[in-house]
Amino acid sequence: MPAVTRQRAEPVSLVAAGVVTPFGADLDAFWSGLITGSDGISMIERFPVDDLRVGRGGEIKKLRPLPGARRVGCRATQLLLAAAADLLARSPISAEPARVAVVLGTALGGVGELERALAPGGRPRHAVGALYDSPAHALARRLGARGPVLTVGAACAAGATALGHGADLLRADVVDVVIAGGYDALCRFVMRGFDALRSLTRERVRPFDRRRSGLLLGEAAALVMMTREGATRGPRLGRLLGHASASDGSHIAAPDANGRGLELAARSALEEAGLTSADVDFVSAHGTGTPLNDRIEAEVLRRLLGRRASEIPVNSIKASVGHTMGAAAALEAVMCLLAGREGIVPYTLGLEEPDPACELDHVIGSPRAARPRISLSTSLGFGGCNAALVLEAVAQ
Amino acid sequence: MSFSVGPRAADDSSARAKILTGTAVEAVSVLTGWGQGVRALPPHAARAAAGRAVIPLGRPALEGERFRRATRECLLGVAAVDALLRASGISREVVKGTSTALIYVTGGAYGAANRAWVVADTARPAQPDDRPGDKRRGAVAGTLHFPYTAPSVMSGEVAIEFGLTGPYGILIGGAAATIDGLWQATRLLESGRCERALVLAVETFEDCAELYARGRWLVGRPLVEAAVCALLVPGDLRTRYDAPRAPSALETRARTRAGETLACGPLIALALGREDGATGSIGVTGEWRGRRAGLYWH
Repeated sequence: MPAVTRQRAEPVSLVAAGVVTPFGADLDAFWSGLITGSDGISMIERFPVDDLRVGRGGEIKKLRPLPGARRVGCRATQLLLAAAADLLARSPISAEPARVAVVLGTALGGVGELERALAPGGRPRHAVGALYDSPAHALARRLGARGPVLTVGAACAAGATALGHGADLLRADVVDVVIAGGYDALCRFVMRGFDALRSLTRERVRPFDRRRSGLLLGEAAALVMMTREGATRGPRLGRLLGHASASDGSHIAAPDANGRGLELAARSALEEAGLTSADVDFVSAHGTGTPLNDRIEAEVLRRLLGRRASEIPVNSIKASVGHTMGAAAALEAVMCLLAGREGIVPYTLGLEEPDPACELDHVIGSPRAARPRISLSTSLGFGGCNAALVLEAVAQ
Repeated sequence: MSFSVGPRAADDSSARAKILTGTAVEAVSVLTGWGQGVRALPPHAARAAAGRAVIPLGRPALEGERFRRATRECLLGVAAVDALLRASGISREVVKGTSTALIYVTGGAYGAANRAWVVADTARPAQPDDRPGDKRRGAVAGTLHFPYTAPSVMSGEVAIEFGLTGPYGILIGGAAATIDGLWQATRLLESGRCERALVLAVETFEDCAELYARGRWLVGRPLVEAAVCALLVPGDLRTRYDAPRAPSALETRARTRAGETLACGPLIALALGREDGATGSIGVTGEWRGRRAGLYWH
């Protein structure tokens, strides 16, 4: 074997965040929705779902019009621009345009545009917007960013990988600022797909609950502004300490039966952060609410955390806003940092009777007073994608 | 099949033990609508296309039950990696496991599966005036088809076939994204996160040809389907990643000879450079949506 040694990665600052979720058009609405146990799931109204088994999801009912913005037809781009407006209201970009990168994760890109293009009477020109990297380029144009524009297509783990790639661009001094995160918009394309897979529940989403019967999809965009350590003065959300990914190499649409890829990703992310599982204060689980995912993920977390598995709080926010696919990991990373800043951990909506097979220290019934400094966030996606982030919060 | 293979075999650890501070391109395999290897490329793709908008690449005849349902783009990815390993004399056992990273890049190879999934939603009963093979008959409404709309499933099939359980990267975009992917592969190698990296690009156009015809401001002609894979290993070359204003000579040559291959372009350029005998310093560039990126080994 070559004598290569793994290096600890330089931490990267997460200066600010902006989101749009089913709870509302900004970070404050997202956080208050989580803390108050709001339910962002509703009947989908924006496109027909009456022929599907399940027609509910985390749909964003209203988007604020963006001042001075030309009308944007692509829903995914609309979500991104809304999240960017929230982000920039909190922290403007101060870097040369060529030194600003945009790195976004998505499961669907602008595929809604393909539906528009191929619909009866549709315009084929919309199909260009269906290329999965179109929304990222639209955001870069709006931001005036002229550095690298990357779209990560790692399905529901894409948001985590996007943050990792963004960190690499900063560490290598390719750019000074990275706008990173994830997004996905609900459309018939994906609702039909998960409906056909029988992955959607007709009941409520119950991550890690013994009655769990599936997931519900949601739509969201979550962005963070990343800089190198010390490059930004003033308050910041926290730091990204480590990121890693690993393929299952076992199935295209189901997690590895033993969670080997997820475990490797989590261990590698901790290693990159220069930490061990003993340093973890909180775990934001992928926690989709599907029977298989939750059991396997819980087993992986028990192996990873060892004896501390019964004392490290674990939550999943997917019952609150739906599984927001490409946005999920970025949204959950933001949640981790807010939990550390605010000193409170949101609870897992829908979890009432923990499945013994998913035994962990779940946050149940109400938010928990805790101030996690080091968080581990886990993500899985189609194609056997597994990713993990290690984050450090800054206490207020 | 012609390949561009470096002077060192991939499992020659004694040769590599002393040069671990950088990276090297070990081999590149090229499959295009023109044939196998860079020697199959015509001198001038546009002339060779003789007005054809798309130069297609057939569905690889891979054996195995699980390939029966896989999409053509998945099989092309598998075929490109398999071709690389065979031509390089690298055993599948060498790449299997957690030490091999897989970076997959495509501009639009997911388009065929996405289109089929959307069309199935608007499918109607067959009509007397339907042409044979009319896609509106909705043949892909089943549960097996939806996962294949995800780009990550294309790389997932490759990971399953070769037992790749190491780090991955999945980038969506044209040639500039492949430069980003190559750079990420070098980062993974240099930081010790893997011992070798496969950078795979696949592009198919035939099923969405009329849609690409509406995006002629974005893509050149002829559209040439391709599946290309490069193997990167620890080596003695440093890399520089930047944003050049002008295309490199290799980028221009690859585009002239191969045609529009989107994400495959930079890897074809690498293969062309190595065909010329360049096994050390080499640089490739790629442009997409007005952004050009470059990566140089020196």
